[in-house]
Amino acid sequence: MTAPHEPATESFDLLSTELMAAFEGWRPGMPSWDEEELDRWARRAFRLQFQENAPYRKYCETRGVAPADVRGWREVLPVPTEAFRVVDLIVGDRSDARLLFLTSGTTRGRSAQGRHLVRSPELYRASLRAGFRGFVINDDNPARIVTFPPTFTHQSDSSLGWMMDDLRTGFGSGDGASVASAAGIEWDLLDAEVRESVHAGRPLCLLGTTLGFAEWLERLQAGRSVSDRLPVGSVLMDTGGEKGRPGLRRANLVRGLAEQLEISPDAIVNEFGMTELLSQRYGCGEPAYPLVGPPWLRSRVLHPVTLEELPPGEKGILCHFDLANLGSVCAVLTEDQGRVVEDGIEWVGRTDGSPPRGCSLATAALLDAQGHA
Amino acid sequence: MLEAWHLPGLDPPPTEWLESRSRAGTAFRAPALTAAQARSVASSVRSAALEARASRSTHEVIEAITRAAGRLSAHEPEGMAARELLRVELGWSESLVAETLEGMSRTWTSEALAGLVESELGGAGILDGFVTDTRWAGQGRRSRRALGPPVVLQVLAGNVPGVAITATIRALLVRSGVLCKLPGSEPGLLPLFARVLTDEDPLLGRCIAATWWAGDSFPVAWREWAKWAGRTVVYGGSMTVEEVRRSLPANTDLVTYGPKTGIGVVLPDGPLSAVTALARDICAYDQQGCVSPRLVYVVGDSTRPFVERLAAALEEQTRTQPPPEATAAEAVAIRAARAAFEFAGYESGRSRVVSPGESLAWTILSSEDPAIRAESLPRVVWVHRVQDLKALEDALQPLEGHIQTLGYSGAEELQNLAALAARLSVSRIAPFGSMAWPPADWRHEGKHQLLPLINWTDFEIPE
Repeated sequence: MTAPHEPATESFDLLSTELMAAFEGWRPGMPSWDEEELDRWARRAFRLQFQENAPYRKYCETRGVAPADVRGWREVLPVPTEAFRVVDLIVGDRSDARLLFLTSGTTRGRSAQGRHLVRSPELYRASLRAGFRGFVINDDNPARIVTFPPTFTHQSDSSLGWMMDDLRTGFGSGDGASVASAAGIEWDLLDAEVRESVHAGRPLCLLGTTLGFAEWLERLQAGRSVSDRLPVGSVLMDTGGEKGRPGLRRANLVRGLAEQLEISPDAIVNEFGMTELLSQRYGCGEPAYPLVGPPWLRSRVLHPVTLEELPPGEKGILCHFDLANLGSVCAVLTEDQGRVVEDGIEWVGRTDGSPPRGCSLATAALLDAQGHA
Repeated sequence: MLEAWHLPGLDPPPTEWLESRSRAGTAFRAPALTAAQARSVASSVRSAALEARASRSTHEVIEAITRAAGRLSAHEPEGMAARELLRVELGWSESLVAETLEGMSRTWTSEALAGLVESELGGAGILDGFVTDTRWAGQGRRSRRALGPPVVLQVLAGNVPGVAITATIRALLVRSGVLCKLPGSEPGLLPLFARVLTDEDPLLGRCIAATWWAGDSFPVAWREWAKWAGRTVVYGGSMTVEEVRRSLPANTDLVTYGPKTGIGVVLPDGPLSAVTALARDICAYDQQGCVSPRLVYVVGDSTRPFVERLAAALEEQTRTQPPPEATAAEAVAIRAARAAFEFAGYESGRSRVVSPGESLAWTILSSEDPAIRAESLPRVVWVHRVQDLKALEDALQPLEGHIQTLGYSGAEELQNLAALAARLSVSRIAPFGSMAWPPADWRHEGKHQLLPLINWTDFEIPE
């Protein structure tokens, strides 16, 4: 799918419709989009965002970057993720947002949550499903989708919840089930799903957080949950990583689950996403890299100080370009460290905070301890 | 490989090593001490301290320290070694290193040290023997003696090079031996000082032991040394202090320093020319000292003229004293702080970022509204406008007890500013340009430097 021409001005509705068709038309195994094609989309997306995303335009103008200067996706000016905490980054204005996703927590003392205003849930859905179809379960797999995390509510504003709900209710035959409750995971419900799957021979596709799967593995190993050989085609997709649980190693988790459920470690897929990006990357087994994604999600690794692009294999700051972000900003400079490996990336970790400074006080830390905003 | 240790009496010789890298990536190592080795060092330090008390006057100790410290700062081989050491450990420019050592060494002279002893103890004599207290004339003879415990244990921080030496000198002045846990970011300077002091006076050199281990590991050596210590002194952030406290028996006599911050205030009549001096304070420790002016308040109608002049001053300072390359964590944090101010400014028009483009060499984050949120980021300064001193006091209230130094320019409202600072328990008020260099007898954190280490002995004889 190519963009046939580049209009002088762009319309969100038109461009998002074209992109949606391109997303839906993509299948893994097809020749990937070439650089020229991606660059053409990138120029059009940047032109639109420069036109209609006021804070982003100001950011670009301050740095002397205009649409005429941008030849391809690599040259689209990235916005630091911090900006999502401070302003509404949306093509149009706040009233155009149809979904609001909030980032999970605090970083370096700044307690304000980041917000991603989503103008087109349809475009998001098209990217999500295309990636999921490409890297987790394809159309031929009749798996029943069962989700662990709490379902999406406008109170929780979690992009993870929305994503899992969408896949459970809309992907494949759309007859998935949630085993989440207010208190966590309803293990009895999960056991019933496993029993039913084994009985009917219909594969399961379980979606959950890495921590949720770790809890399940403990139960399986202690004989408190139903452990059985899952039907061929079953897939587990974990997300969120090891953080929040000292001592948890995903390698042990993958090995343990593969043993308990008699599935291949490669049937345990790690999903890598962030609230600021509407497309996802996936990695099979353990280690879960390269994390690969659809052709409209590309990542560069930059030197942390100079922001120059580093060659593959070198560690630096991850900078993503995602056309599914058409309604906000496509290029996002993260606070994560990673490297480019093969046709994907390896996520190394967050660059958390500045190192401790001896007797010197970061007042931000004090204010947070005192509960000041 | 830098040898980051000075362990007199170490027996048996080291076989296992701990290795790490300094702030700028210099590899260093220190012995992984066994309990027996830690004991041998502590015992040796204690014996040396007791022997030094019997054989050296405090005046002689001061003279020996002064000679050793002088060799670190002058154009002598040790001075050059010290400068080279800090340059590679911290990645600092030569001129910044030279200025730091020069500034620090002003507090290590015999005059400054005798002044400190005089200011807190009324003179060195009381450390050498009993001194009669004449205020009690007619009620019998009363006299007093001051002495530190035979062994002081110190956990040192590396954000301000030289403070490890200052802290160690304090212990030596009260005639204690001292066991030191060195900071990983800058572990080399104190062992160098200890070696030079050993050269000047071998017995005093044996009163210092210093080594490194990972800050959160509390190895067997720590537990062993803690048993020998009459006082434990900790420099560091609140987490370090808390971890140290938890690792020690409940009845440990603990003296803590940190965490604190510096504040700058530009009074309405503060001359714009003072920005040059302020820029020196900002660059002195790359904003990593507890005295560093991370937050600056402009009292009056606008920050704009001040910010423009400060930007020029920081640019000039960067030319003469280039900053070390930021770490990845610092770079990310600086960019985030800039993005927060820049994007907020698009909406409100009340905040902006002034920097040399995308370079991270220096950053001014200015806002027309008062706020007190800041981080310890290299050469990043937050500049806020406040209408008057009342507004300033309101803004600073949550920092009460946490402000180390308040720097200023201007004269008219200075007395009111000083009164405000005292109400907020600020420990020092100083003009721009001298924030980074407190005098030797400054009451560090509003506390005495020597008195917290002293054990008093009162002696009464009836008439």
